[in-house]
Amino acid sequence: MAVGTVAALVLLPVAALLWRAIRDGDGWSADALSRILGSGRTWRVLGATVAQAAASTVLTLVVGLPVAWVVGTFAFPGRRAVRLLALVPFVLPSVVLATAVSAVLGPSGPVDLRGTWWAVLAAHLSFNLAVVVVVVGGAVGRIAPSLDATARTLGAGPLDALRRVVIPAVRPAVTSAAALVFLFCLTSFGVLVVLGGGAVTTLEVEIWVRSTRQFDLSGAAVLAGLQVVTVVAALGLLGAASRRGGATSGRLRRRRPRSPAEVSAVLGASIAVVVVSGVPLAALLERSTRLGGERTWSNWTGLGSVLEGTGLAVSPAEALRRSLLGAAAGAAVAVAVALPASRLAARRPGGGSERVLMLPVAVSATTVGLGLLLLVGRPPVDLRGTWWLVPFAQAVVALPLVVRVVAPALRALPGSTLDAAAVLGAEGRSRWWRVELPAVRGAVAAGAALAFVACLGEFGATVFLARSDRATVPVVIQQLSSRPGPAGVGQAMVLSCILVAVCALVLGILDAVGDRSASDRLLHRGRMGPWTSEPT
Amino acid sequence: MLGLLACSALIAACGDPAPSGGTGPDGNGDGGASAREVVLVTYDSFALPEAAARSFTERTGATIRVVASGDAGAVLTKALLAAGAPEGDVLFGVDSSLATRVLAEDLLEPFQPAAVGQVPDPLRLPGELGELLTPVDTGEVCVLADAGWFAARSLPVPATLESLTDPAYRDLLVVQSPVTSSPGLTFLVGTVARSGDGWPGYWQALRDNGVRVRPSWDDAYNVDYTVSGGDRPLVVSYASSPPAEVVFSEGARSEPASVVIQDTCVQQVEYAGVLRGAPEPELARQLVEFMLSPEWQSELPLTNFVFPVVPGTPLPVEFERFAVRPAAPQQVPPDRIGEEREAWIEQWRTILE
Repeated sequence: MAVGTVAALVLLPVAALLWRAIRDGDGWSADALSRILGSGRTWRVLGATVAQAAASTVLTLVVGLPVAWVVGTFAFPGRRAVRLLALVPFVLPSVVLATAVSAVLGPSGPVDLRGTWWAVLAAHLSFNLAVVVVVVGGAVGRIAPSLDATARTLGAGPLDALRRVVIPAVRPAVTSAAALVFLFCLTSFGVLVVLGGGAVTTLEVEIWVRSTRQFDLSGAAVLAGLQVVTVVAALGLLGAASRRGGATSGRLRRRRPRSPAEVSAVLGASIAVVVVSGVPLAALLERSTRLGGERTWSNWTGLGSVLEGTGLAVSPAEALRRSLLGAAAGAAVAVAVALPASRLAARRPGGGSERVLMLPVAVSATTVGLGLLLLVGRPPVDLRGTWWLVPFAQAVVALPLVVRVVAPALRALPGSTLDAAAVLGAEGRSRWWRVELPAVRGAVAAGAALAFVACLGEFGATVFLARSDRATVPVVIQQLSSRPGPAGVGQAMVLSCILVAVCALVLGILDAVGDRSASDRLLHRGRMGPWTSEPT
Repeated sequence: MLGLLACSALIAACGDPAPSGGTGPDGNGDGGASAREVVLVTYDSFALPEAAARSFTERTGATIRVVASGDAGAVLTKALLAAGAPEGDVLFGVDSSLATRVLAEDLLEPFQPAAVGQVPDPLRLPGELGELLTPVDTGEVCVLADAGWFAARSLPVPATLESLTDPAYRDLLVVQSPVTSSPGLTFLVGTVARSGDGWPGYWQALRDNGVRVRPSWDDAYNVDYTVSGGDRPLVVSYASSPPAEVVFSEGARSEPASVVIQDTCVQQVEYAGVLRGAPEPELARQLVEFMLSPEWQSELPLTNFVFPVVPGTPLPVEFERFAVRPAAPQQVPPDRIGEEREAWIEQWRTILE
């Protein structure tokens, strides 16, 4: 039933959208199909979407692979800090990360690249560096050091050893990291909206512009269908790529950098991470205390009021309060649906139910948002004015993250424990509540925290569903930063800082109370799976 | 499972104490203790005429709350997506270039204030549209030139729409996207009216001459226009921008910085209507009626830099001195715009994007 619920949650909005694509008033119509698919512009936008994802992937690999190699191979002072810094942008809401990047590469920064692909690529690099560092860095770290040493003893030079030992060993990890990065960039939305400045566009942005600016819902619906096809195709490639599994064995063992070349590699990688991940965050903080040219706290102290000309219906502080509560509700719903679903997925790994739970990924967040809006907005049941629509949509988007954390934990429960429980009379429901659930409570807490962070930062679906007086913080940030003038931008920076702090706090608490490095496991298990596309 | 859902509902219910009340179908339970409120849905650069708003409150006992989100086009689309379950009572800011879109989705309740009879015929809408939308203000969308910039370079200010494609004015013009901006769309409509079927050729020439496209009027005028410190001395704006430059300079300017290129002007009318499903339909009708009152009409020029639609409304001195009323602005009937708007926008996008 839980799996059926998930299927319904995702498929109904999509069905509503596709229905809209082929219906005109009361009759059938292929007009929107021929209009959109027959336009050269559509294919140009699709081409740009794929090309920017490919370019972002290449850029991320070029910067990320050396960093991953350094982090995986060497033990050096500050290694943990460098690695952690590289991970931070990945857990931030896409709108927040884009705002941070715009503090460096936007109208208020030293170079204004807003409205160009460069700004978008920079944000994608910052966001996805974590993927390469974690996935590839892990694989590098697990290459048996003896292999490398043996190769050298047998007469291979350092380059030769790299080519014949290291590269074959990490190739599968590189492939799956690249595939993940590509997928994230393909459905990137918040980054494009904030940094694209209306000048650069992708399928996701085009769906948004058509539906919310041109009021061309049927056209948007056709594009959403095209987006689903594109993402499914990419997922297929991703699956094929990661099935070619590789063998990385051996225990983690890092060594100190020895030669001057190795020391400078460590330095270079550390500097790269500081520039890519640290500078935008520092600029964000700096810009939040600046108004025009002056140093001031007024951006912070003025959060309780609506600035003139920003067009907000509620103050940023009120939006923050409601966002936190809404995200808590969304996370609760996500966990409530995900627990029984995880149990099913754990029972049959790779089975049909697990595939169904992948659905929210193949469908982008804008599709979920627009589809839900069309679905609930038809008489006799009109739910558009209800407060819970936004948390509900956020829950749909956050759901796979929870499953991704909880299902492996359930799967890892020793069969003997469950058998013992059964022998002692705990069957079905009672075994679930008294044995299984308590055993995986750490994973459930991690999943809930992750869902909370995801709901809080959700933008793609929320932007369609949040009414003006219930705007969430990411929507408010986008609205503020899209308006010229220093005051609105300053408030956007402050709100972004606050969301960074909240995300850090939630994941930090988890890290402190969880077993082993919980936030690390979150990144590994929660975000890295092929179906965990956080709409960005 | 149901229990869990109920739990989450409970948690979430705390999330929305909705003290504002009366703003949506769920906001009915505020016990009637607070004052009545009429919600005006409009674009975010709209400035409420404060004195007139106070006078409305004195008369009706209801305060006006403004809910703004984005530019005129975005507001209208948002309202259309919420049609039947609106975010407020009155929709204001639909202009002549977008007017026919309100016919979709049954967005508005028919209502015509008694005073609409005073509005000159050319500003009113024909047929069904006229029953839904009340004209409130008017103005002209024109290309403006930074007079000082041109004088400093001894370059003549371009005089016609055609001259904007002259290589002498290369990389000087900034316009708004007709997809997201109502002056942008109005300007596009003007070029179509002028060039007829050859309009795509005109835009190709503009593109080849380095026109820059911005998403909103705010970006074009307040960021890119040289008068605001940008790098483009030609901008699509309003014929009423020159008096605004004097007023907003707070004494720093005694003369406007911009001149209006009259040949480029297109008439624009802004309308108001009562949203279907409005929580306060009676107050909504009273507010639309009030928008044609002398108080509201006479306060519009200095708050929103537009011209009143009711003849005989006194104009402020800044308008008398600096506002330009182009002799013969392009006038394109809204129903004709409605027939072809989407095709024009579509084609414009293939040329410029």
